[in-house]
Amino acid sequence: MRSLGTGFWVAVALAAVGFLVVPTLILQSPIEPNMGFVQKIFYFHVPCAIMMFLSTFVCAGGSIAYLFRGSERGDRLAVAAAELGVLFGVCTLTTGPLWGRKAWGVWWQWDARLTTSLLLFLMLVAYLLARRYGGPAGRKLAAALSLFAAINVPLVYKSVDIWRTVHPKTTVVTTLDTRMRIAFWSSFLLITLVWTVLLIIRMRLERARAELAALRLDAEDELAEGRP
Amino acid sequence: MTTMTAAWKRIRIAAVAAMAVVAWTGTALAQEFEKVENIPRQEIPAGRFVSIAYGIIWLAVLAYVVMVAAGVKRVNQELADLKRKVDRTGLKG
Repeated sequence: MRSLGTGFWVAVALAAVGFLVVPTLILQSPIEPNMGFVQKIFYFHVPCAIMMFLSTFVCAGGSIAYLFRGSERGDRLAVAAAELGVLFGVCTLTTGPLWGRKAWGVWWQWDARLTTSLLLFLMLVAYLLARRYGGPAGRKLAAALSLFAAINVPLVYKSVDIWRTVHPKTTVVTTLDTRMRIAFWSSFLLITLVWTVLLIIRMRLERARAELAALRLDAEDELAEGRP
Repeated sequence: MTTMTAAWKRIRIAAVAAMAVVAWTGTALAQEFEKVENIPRQEIPAGRFVSIAYGIIWLAVLAYVVMVAAGVKRVNQELADLKRKVDRTGLKG
């Protein structure tokens, strides 16, 4: 594998600094009067959910490039983004119930936001399963599936405004107190950096796998030609 | 015809009686609830929940990094194996 660029290492360094600074900012932010200390889960639960949305859009973008232009790079981007969507989906769907248990008294509610989020997560899992076990057409099948997942994202986002739900509304971020806003946006920046770093390394791994497969084919061809 | 009408009448009476019994039992059970004032609220330690949530995120990220690193290691190993195979057979790289 080729060496990673300076930008990558700057992002890694910033993420490491953020790992130390962000929890301090979150702890120093004011306590929300209704929910109390547990509201602090919000500072990393929401960025994780946004990363799941972003991953889905990136996956769909890469899939479009692959489906309509046959771009292998687009396919690599799509698979890396789908994996990150699942990763941040796990984070969202585990931190949410922890917050809900304390704030609502239950781990899970089958309300619009939670159910559509779970569906989005399952669609991303289905994308990876289709690639893995879908046979020769698996990659194309998965790419098409990712388009449906992308359509689901606006529905997940707007679900709290369309239906009556126990989940906080989308306006909550814009109404934050200044110190809460600093903590939120710094946490968002940190998680975005982590997402970017992971996307880069995962894409590079996929490219290395593709190069290895091509080399193996070349070697097999040459071996076949070299045989008496 | 008369037999059918009589049978339907009996069924209706039985259904109304069954509903009355169920309604009476429900009311009786509901009346057994007692209203209690000033119950201490169940306190769940919020700090623990916040720490677990934060820990889950970083553990998940770490697990993913380990998974990708294992993938890189496997690719490098396979590349070395292929190179060795090519060298052994004397093919051009």
